[in-house]
Amino acid sequence: MTLQPPADAVRAGRLPADAVRAGRLPADAVHAAARLAPERVAVLHDGAGTSFAELTAASGAARVALDGLGLPAGQPIAVRAAKSPETIALILACFAAARPVLLLSVDLGAQVAATLVERAGCAGVATATGAATNAGGAPFDWAPAPVPAGAPDLPPDTCLMLTTSGSTGVPKIVPLTGAAISRFTAWAAGAFELGAGTRVLSYAPLNFDLSLLDVWATLGHGGTVVLVDPDRAANPAYLLDLVRTTRPNMVQAVPMFYRLLLDAAAGAGGGPPVPEVRHVILTGDHTPPVLRAALPELFPAAVLHNVYGCTETNDSFIHSFGADEARDGALLPIGAPLPGVRAHLVGADGASFAGPGTGELVVSTPFQAAGYLAGDRFPVRDGHAWYRTGDLVTRDDRGRLLLVGRTDFQVKVRGVRVSLEEVEQVVLAHPGVAEAAVVALPDAAAGARISAVVRPRSSGLTGLQIRSWCAQRLTRAAIPAVFDLRDAPLPIGVTGKVDRARLKNELQKEHA
Amino acid sequence: MSQQGEISQYLITQYLPGTPAEELPADYDLLDNGVIDSLSLLQLVGWVSERYAIALDQIDLNPEDFRSVAAVDRFITRNTQVSVAAASGREGVAP
Repeated sequence: MTLQPPADAVRAGRLPADAVRAGRLPADAVHAAARLAPERVAVLHDGAGTSFAELTAASGAARVALDGLGLPAGQPIAVRAAKSPETIALILACFAAARPVLLLSVDLGAQVAATLVERAGCAGVATATGAATNAGGAPFDWAPAPVPAGAPDLPPDTCLMLTTSGSTGVPKIVPLTGAAISRFTAWAAGAFELGAGTRVLSYAPLNFDLSLLDVWATLGHGGTVVLVDPDRAANPAYLLDLVRTTRPNMVQAVPMFYRLLLDAAAGAGGGPPVPEVRHVILTGDHTPPVLRAALPELFPAAVLHNVYGCTETNDSFIHSFGADEARDGALLPIGAPLPGVRAHLVGADGASFAGPGTGELVVSTPFQAAGYLAGDRFPVRDGHAWYRTGDLVTRDDRGRLLLVGRTDFQVKVRGVRVSLEEVEQVVLAHPGVAEAAVVALPDAAAGARISAVVRPRSSGLTGLQIRSWCAQRLTRAAIPAVFDLRDAPLPIGVTGKVDRARLKNELQKEHA
Repeated sequence: MSQQGEISQYLITQYLPGTPAEELPADYDLLDNGVIDSLSLLQLVGWVSERYAIALDQIDLNPEDFRSVAAVDRFITRNTQVSVAAASGREGVAP
């Protein structure tokens, strides 16, 4: 399969490769959809629809206000990714103005957010107000960066800057080009039949890479985005009611969403199925077999897709399946590489290998970043930048790829990737902490439950104090659920390191 | 035990085991500090509704009302007063 002609042309350098032209691509698509059907609903939010005409008008107003700031061309700004049509209009205005935009999670601690804004060289932080879709008023609140930013070292054509999903400490910034995003939205539209009037449920926050599909691929192809209210995103009855009322054609979410949805459906005695849903995308983690098996009943007309990807590379593998495979309990393969995606497995000896075996998955995709902002660039070989996923993958004797786990200490909490080592470093940095170890136990609801075992230097330190310390430096999912303060030294294993296996054992017994 | 003491006790038992009750300030931000997440928020709302007999279907739920022990305390006081008033207004009508 080949890529869409415009994407190929960009890659081959036949289209102007300058930042301004290519950076507009995602905005151009939305504006084109707006010209074709201005009255069509672009965003459904809390029962109210915003039409394409209203969305582009709001975006135009935001553009005028942006231009009024008098910022140097190409200097990025940060946008607080509160989930609303107004925020989408504001991001669209940045796209149209070829102004790179860093999306900040609303859950970020103030210190972390400030560091990210500074690292990305942002002129300031914009927060959309309700005024953009009403008459008059400023479309966004503007908070200039306290320190005038230096010239940012952004790759040309940078359109969006996302942060590594939920990672801890200061997340890494992943700059994505307009061309890479357009290649991705073109693939997604074909794979999931996105077109005029297609309804897509948007469960993920706007700053997650998943929103490139849910929001930007959908809008760019004239579809309607149904926003899930983040405050009620864990409310089973609300989710089921939203799905039943809005009847989306595509749903993409982490396993937790499907569990909540199916819980609500079971509580309601099953209830009628939702045949409008044609594509169900499972992503972010393993979906437990019992969950998978229940999906075809609620969505009888849907093809199910297990999609593997990450912020750095976007989606890279897909395994599509029907009701029969949903009901068999076997581990789902991560599937086949998407068109244009290259991948190999690297063994413990550092060499890539063919045939059956387990190794780290290394990928190169047409949708990816070339590296982190002001950080490591991904190594280039054979003309492609390769990203080490940190995921252990087994290739079985039939050539199928199966996800085994992380190569390092990464866990997923409520669908958000968290590095335990980084959490540990934050805890250890507290001046009152003598010794600490951070471990995760499996948790039925959240996926993983993080515990910090801490030996304070003196008796004055409390668990709440360390918790507040962590909250200022970590995203919410990374804040340990439990702070276990001890007077005795932590157990040491044979390698001379803290014996994590023993700590996990002790915690499991306490928790049970 | 005071209403506020009872809320503190519940939160500590459920989400902050091992924390002495006097250590949890009434204005400690439960949401920003990760004590309550979106899942446990539902749990907490459920407990408040059951313990203080507050009918949730008539109330606009706002996460701000569960941001701290003091906020939960105010929420309960506000809504139990309302239901007492509403109940007395319907005197003589079978429930």
